[in-house]
Amino acid sequence: MMTSRERVHLALEHKEPDRVPLDLGASAVTGMHVDTVYKLRQALGLDQPGTPVKVTEPYQLLGEIKPDLMEAVGIDVVGLGKTATLFGFKNEGWKPWTTFEGTPVLVPEGFNTEPDPNGDILMYPEGDQSVPPSGRMPKDGFYFDAIVRQPPIDDDKLNVQDNLEEFGPIAAEDLEYFRRESERLYTETDKAILANFGGTAFGDIALVPAPWLKHPKGIRDIEEWYVSTKTRRDHVYRIFERQCEIALSNLEKIFQVVGNRVTAVFVSGTDFGQQNGPFISNKSYRDLFQPFHKQVNNWIHKNTQWKSFIHSCGSVRALLPDFIEAGFEIINPVQCSAAGMAAEELKQEFGSRVTFWGGGVDTQRTLPFGTSEEVRQEVCARLKTFGRGGGYVFNTTHNVQARVPLENVKVMYETVRKCGQYPL
Amino acid sequence: MSIFDDLQQAIIDGNSPLAKDLTEKGLSEGLRPAEFFPKAIIPSMNEVGRRMRECEFFIPEVLIAARAARASTDILRPLLVGDEAVSSAGTVVCGTVKGDLHDIGKNIVAMMLESAGFEIVDLGVDVSPEKVVEAVRQHQANVVAMSALLTTTMVNMKAVIEALASAGLRDQVKVMVGGAPVTEAWARSIGADGYGKDASAAVETARSLLAA
Repeated sequence: MMTSRERVHLALEHKEPDRVPLDLGASAVTGMHVDTVYKLRQALGLDQPGTPVKVTEPYQLLGEIKPDLMEAVGIDVVGLGKTATLFGFKNEGWKPWTTFEGTPVLVPEGFNTEPDPNGDILMYPEGDQSVPPSGRMPKDGFYFDAIVRQPPIDDDKLNVQDNLEEFGPIAAEDLEYFRRESERLYTETDKAILANFGGTAFGDIALVPAPWLKHPKGIRDIEEWYVSTKTRRDHVYRIFERQCEIALSNLEKIFQVVGNRVTAVFVSGTDFGQQNGPFISNKSYRDLFQPFHKQVNNWIHKNTQWKSFIHSCGSVRALLPDFIEAGFEIINPVQCSAAGMAAEELKQEFGSRVTFWGGGVDTQRTLPFGTSEEVRQEVCARLKTFGRGGGYVFNTTHNVQARVPLENVKVMYETVRKCGQYPL
Repeated sequence: MSIFDDLQQAIIDGNSPLAKDLTEKGLSEGLRPAEFFPKAIIPSMNEVGRRMRECEFFIPEVLIAARAARASTDILRPLLVGDEAVSSAGTVVCGTVKGDLHDIGKNIVAMMLESAGFEIVDLGVDVSPEKVVEAVRQHQANVVAMSALLTTTMVNMKAVIEALASAGLRDQVKVMVGGAPVTEAWARSIGADGYGKDASAAVETARSLLAA
């Protein structure tokens, strides 16, 4: 019997294991909304009614994928992430909370919210309610969005340090956590580890507003950031240069403590695609991002056995050759619903050079709005297409959202079991 | 090269300071504010739309061009009075639907529509159906343009259409929708009149809805 880790390794080597490996919850973009995790656990008989589920990612309200759920569904990957969440507090000191849908959940002690007069919920960096809020969940909403706190920008006084506050030498405490946790996951589970050490995503728009910082400086507004990649290109380049130096120095230290227990590393979550095409031109990617992606990936390939993972939503087909040239080996979330991202074409054109990690079912349409038969057909077709010759890890296209019919989620995993066995 | 040609180029290049200078220079030389729209601003944003469709321009280029156009129109609009006033292409009430706080796409659509000569009433994000109804009444809008980025919020587009119907305003306005998870089929299924797959298409949709 093949272990999960062996299964994932074979897939990443572009060989066919016994079945297509599965990820659920190993990263903040391959998980499931806590409302749906709760319903799934109930449906599988894993919990008594009313048993709360932990919110392990407070921004998107992702639910904890515990070992019992992993076993029930057949998950092959576990995540190793930073100790602090996107709002700066740690996942510890759990307390009860209820989502707008009425789902009983547990949230970390730093998850201190305050109602806005209009019914929204406000969230604070590091849970500190003495500073302005950094997150907002609209009334009846399912996720937080960053509240942009943009200090005035004086173009004559731009300082790269202002956008580097969140990047610095890794703390001894975090290194020790990575050492201990990688060891635990490696010895106590047979899963492959997908690690996100942080610091290697350049210009990730989810991180630019820095919801974990109490008083962010520099360029923090989303539109202003995109504009700055053109109008203040040299300034942005210098931010990335310094960020990259810090990241490489941290990776060295991290590798010393986690070694090759880690299978794949989440290097970049910067979104380069929109629904109908890339966000930026190939020229801009090569000019501003690729040099740094290459430095990080070259270091990884020279010093470790880690496979390099890039997440970018949307239509990125035009950029895939550049991603591959930059040294990325795993592409996620494979948004087949976006322009030019048809599964068969992607597999044919790029399948020998990258592993697709995701794309298992469309979370914009099929999973939330389709019939179970449509889900079954799509999942089966994607497994057969992407799984051919290995080079595929099954996951939905991005996180499974709230309000998805549970029947569709169940059918998805049933189909993976039936159609995901090699030979496909 | 005329000032209008230079201004067109400045907008396409996304050069806001130059667009502002050229607008001021043109005005000081006696050009009428209303002339700038058909001769510089609308054609330049049409060109931006074309480049966007043909994948020559991407989000940052569109944003800086729209900002340059705004640098010019911010000077011109207050001067458009009396018979100098340019005839508006129509009034568009726009916003991101209730429960959704995403606005980059909506903002680009609003800027493109504005540069194409539409009057824009931007209600922002997390907009309730009641607010849309109120704005349509108050501004005598011709078009309602709604955006959603989430599968959990796109359903609220239908609520906007229903609210317009209940208020007896549905026949007065055309409703168009867009946003990442939104498709033409979805737009039809909720009874919208039009769909824009991107900002450039949204301008075309608004134009054709009002021409119909």
